[in-house]
Amino acid sequence: MIDHLPVLLVVLPILGGAVPLVVSLLHERAGWAVATLTVAGQVALAGLLAWTVETSGTVSYEVGGFAAPYGIELVVDGLSAAVALLVAVVALGVLAYARHAGPRSNSFYSLYLLLVAGLTGMSVTGDVFNLYVFLEITGLAAYGLVASGDEAKSAVAALKYLIIGTVGASLYLLGVGYLLAATGTLNMADLAGKLGSMAAYDSTLVLTAFGLMVGGLTVKVALFPLHTWQPDAYANAPDTVSAFISALVSTVSAYALARLLFSVFTVEFLSAVPIARWALLGLACVSVVTGSALAVSQSSVQRMLAYSSVSQFGLVVAGFTVGTPMAVVGASVHLLGHAVMKGGLFAATGVIERKTGATTLNGYAGMGSRVPVTAGAFSVLALAMVGVPPAIGFVGKWFIVFGAVKAEIWPVVVVLLASTLLTLAYFARLVERLYFAEATIHADEQADATADVPADATVADGSGRAVSTGMVAVVVAAAVLAVALTAAVPAFEQVLNETLPQLLTQ
Amino acid sequence: MTDITSLRPLFAILVSALAIPVILSLERRPNVREGVTIAVALAKFAIVASMVPGVLSGTRYVFSLGKFGPGIELTFRVDPLGLLFGLLASLLWIVTSFYSIGYMRGLDEHAQTRYFASFAASLASAVGVAFASNLLTLFVCYELLTVSTYPLVTHDETDEARAAGRKYLAYTFGGGVAVLGGTVLVFVLTGTTAFTPGGIEALATADPTLARAAFALLAAGFGVKAALMPAHSWLPDAMVAPTPVSGLLHAVAVVKSGVFGIARVVLDVYGTGTMEQLGVGLPLAAVAAFTLLTASVIALRQDNLKRRLAYSTISQLSYIVLGLALLKGDALIGGLLHIPAHAFMKLTLFFCAGAIHVETHTDDISDMAGIGKRMPLTMAAFGVAAAGMAGIPLVAGFVSKWYLVIGALDGGGLVFAAALLVSGVLNIAYFWPIVYQAYFESPEGHDEKPLLEGPLGGRDVVRTDGGDADDDTAESSPVESSEDIPEPQHVDHLGKHHEDDEHHGGPPAGGWTKSGWRGGESTWFMLGPILTAATLSLLLGTVPNSVVFLRIVTTIVGNLPGVTL
Amino acid sequence: MLGLLDSHYNYVAVMLLLGIGLYMLVESRNLVKKVIGMNVFQTGIFLFFITLAFRAGGNPPIIEDGGGPYVSPLPHVLILTAIVVGVSLTAVALALLIRIYTEYGTLDEDKLKQLYYD
Repeated sequence: MIDHLPVLLVVLPILGGAVPLVVSLLHERAGWAVATLTVAGQVALAGLLAWTVETSGTVSYEVGGFAAPYGIELVVDGLSAAVALLVAVVALGVLAYARHAGPRSNSFYSLYLLLVAGLTGMSVTGDVFNLYVFLEITGLAAYGLVASGDEAKSAVAALKYLIIGTVGASLYLLGVGYLLAATGTLNMADLAGKLGSMAAYDSTLVLTAFGLMVGGLTVKVALFPLHTWQPDAYANAPDTVSAFISALVSTVSAYALARLLFSVFTVEFLSAVPIARWALLGLACVSVVTGSALAVSQSSVQRMLAYSSVSQFGLVVAGFTVGTPMAVVGASVHLLGHAVMKGGLFAATGVIERKTGATTLNGYAGMGSRVPVTAGAFSVLALAMVGVPPAIGFVGKWFIVFGAVKAEIWPVVVVLLASTLLTLAYFARLVERLYFAEATIHADEQADATADVPADATVADGSGRAVSTGMVAVVVAAAVLAVALTAAVPAFEQVLNETLPQLLTQ
Repeated sequence: MTDITSLRPLFAILVSALAIPVILSLERRPNVREGVTIAVALAKFAIVASMVPGVLSGTRYVFSLGKFGPGIELTFRVDPLGLLFGLLASLLWIVTSFYSIGYMRGLDEHAQTRYFASFAASLASAVGVAFASNLLTLFVCYELLTVSTYPLVTHDETDEARAAGRKYLAYTFGGGVAVLGGTVLVFVLTGTTAFTPGGIEALATADPTLARAAFALLAAGFGVKAALMPAHSWLPDAMVAPTPVSGLLHAVAVVKSGVFGIARVVLDVYGTGTMEQLGVGLPLAAVAAFTLLTASVIALRQDNLKRRLAYSTISQLSYIVLGLALLKGDALIGGLLHIPAHAFMKLTLFFCAGAIHVETHTDDISDMAGIGKRMPLTMAAFGVAAAGMAGIPLVAGFVSKWYLVIGALDGGGLVFAAALLVSGVLNIAYFWPIVYQAYFESPEGHDEKPLLEGPLGGRDVVRTDGGDADDDTAESSPVESSEDIPEPQHVDHLGKHHEDDEHHGGPPAGGWTKSGWRGGESTWFMLGPILTAATLSLLLGTVPNSVVFLRIVTTIVGNLPGVTL
Repeated sequence: MLGLLDSHYNYVAVMLLLGIGLYMLVESRNLVKKVIGMNVFQTGIFLFFITLAFRAGGNPPIIEDGGGPYVSPLPHVLILTAIVVGVSLTAVALALLIRIYTEYGTLDEDKLKQLYYD
């Protein structure tokens, strides 16, 4: 049982995902219960796996008993265990939110579990082609979930997401082909050994493979200028879905990018081919700046949060690309921290919209007194994102900046430091309106206001406008986690140092 | 020096942090809420004060929250310098709490719960700044201080208050980024950010260019809150906040946290020796000297009392920075002693301005002719504190400035000594007219004061201080009777109108009513704090050796290696 | 140039397919044609993998028959998976198209944009 943990982690949600569809024959509303049971099991398994990794180091598993370079290998080290655990925990949290927020159809929960399976698969796999398959499973489930909103717009947003996402994944696949041509293997560890010896790092073949694979993944991560699918998808999906995919989909893709950089191409590649490193750093820095600029210019809060992701993932990718051990730890911390914070922020927008009808920046004016708890949690999350210590957003940034200073990449240091102010630029406006402005939407005219403001998020299944304690609890839990996770950083850093020696010992 | 692990530093910080949820939950019972504030303020002061004897005899109380990664070590340590700031902030919080109650209730302000909660949060962070034992902990508390004071600056919820809040956040977070950059650099250069009396040794041998860059970043970052020019302009704007906020935060806690940061950097990160070696003291001193002169001149042009006080603050803060930057024993003592001295005096001045605002809704100096009749005690306290600001003997300001000038001459900085003296004259120039006109003139016949007036060009509706000409016309028309005093919410503390037809200040038509000297002019909730603060500044001026602050300061400077007294 | 056509005609075909697919994806205003373009693009990639496996004179990789050299079986397996993925994607895309058409009554991108931002 323990030996099969990595594969069980993927199999469980897939099997669980099939159940709601079957149950549909008997009962229309069983999806939530099935999903909750499955995800609870998933959290237990992921926790067990993380504990195993912490105590006895990296776990690897050969699927179906085929030996490693030929069969598919699952490799779980500190980073992947953390991401898998994050996926499970966030999935459980969002389910608490979905209980009341809907959608409630059984097929929704099938897709939900499929997405969990895809994300978990991406985080535990040790094979570049297997990664592609999970990437597409994740994509398929995510497209379906985005389209599960009641509004027509959600279908358009989903199609846009699908087309751009598929092109990204296809580019990645093409890159895999180039790597296969260059080395004849698909196993990550094997590739890391053969690249550089069988094919020179700066050969056209390897460079093209790097470009295609990284380019494909940056589409999924939504770095500028390949982010265009993201604001539409996040803003038009049901609140539950926005919270879920904003927390996880880009996060796990960014994880995959890091995996590619360190376990396939390795740090030696980055130092042997400075152009690749600089290109990626440049992309990340541009993403930080333009993402923030676009976020500032939004009037819809959810779109603003979506553009904020563009900027924050720039930060993460910059951290990974700087490549010093500190920067990598920092990028990992920020990756996980951002997932919690952004998921919580989207969940909060859902709560605020249901309670008050506010979806735009101006609509948020004076809402601090209408929804005190949610607004308080929202402000804490926003400040954490800005990087006010001692929240998790600060710790990640500190590590990344520290790594960049050590590597003496000064332009990146400047962008990283400036990102605090850029993030402040869009969150300060919001928090200011939340507490210190005259309300534009009042309780009595709320019905009209909701009609006036083009709703950015829809309530699927017509499940009423009320807000449950569970939904608020999820938002508050995210806010608490955003600060409390800081205390877990030393342990996380230690696990990373122990399980990723090959990339942290340069 | 012995380090003792103790929970006291932590409690000193937490006691007011833990009070926040309590205060928030008591929204409907204001008396209990204010009771909690006072109790917590007293408890905080008691905890801090209990450490004074130990620290003076060479003990340092340490408490560590643990390590969260390389360089991220949250540790609090009470050493003399930290105690100076912590003691000051917690002592004055008590005074300000009483005053806040009088002020907020006198004006019937909105959102008082938020106000008192934010105040408690600010004090927790300010004491955190004081007791931080390394640059990173200092940075953490410094940022939290920014966040917790933001609701106070924006308290009015007017457009102007929001604009001031935005500016405040932009400036101080910008400074925070510079501090973060400097901290990372120091850590990369030396592998530590812990404060060491006399400076971190590894910095002396580090790459001088990087060490200078780190100093520039740190000085610039802390300089924002210390309102060094050209990063000062958030401070006058932040005067839109309620007066107790301007008093405690913008004359004591917030701006002094910036000055305190610079003191830490100069004394405990770089050390005077390394500073001289790197040659970074002189530029800092030059910036400070420039600021203290320029701000004094600008203060002359302000007609709004709080804005004039704000520029005075900018100028006085630079005295402290100048004292630190001169790197000589006496100058250091003078600079550090000016932290409490300025705090007492400026708090008195702000409290007086607030009392005048609450009682008569007068904000502009030109409306204050003869106000001494109406508010004799208040204006007397104002006079005392103003004299101290100018450095007249028997008030606190004299002692610190004496040391400063001696230190400046000692170090051969004749220019800086001259700057200090000129600024002293300017201080008299902008404070004396207020006192003179309050007592010796009447609203009907008062002279034009040396306020720089008359447009130098451009549209004639614009006044030289940048305000609108509308202000003047509205101010000069007297109201029919004192009942016409507008609702407070129409007037903010910078005296700008929100409704044109309202009049907002100046003497009532029949002239100021006469009040006795026994406190008929205002509530004792406000007079008490005013007189306490004024008394403290007199005590520090007349018997400096028996007031604990001078002893703390001499201990700090005495502990520094390589500094002779 | 002609030599390239002669020796590497498979790669030329791959590039053509990728180019045509991408062009349709970007330029076509009709959403159905966009999806078709997406399919063509993917087919180009499939072809790339399959021709990678080719080896002159190689036998099918079934060990009992005669013996080596064999063509590589790995790309075939991979592409079998990728085709399945592609088919599912197309199915989801078509389902979305049907929904968009019932909601907006058009599949023209420009018209849709107008309706979308109203």
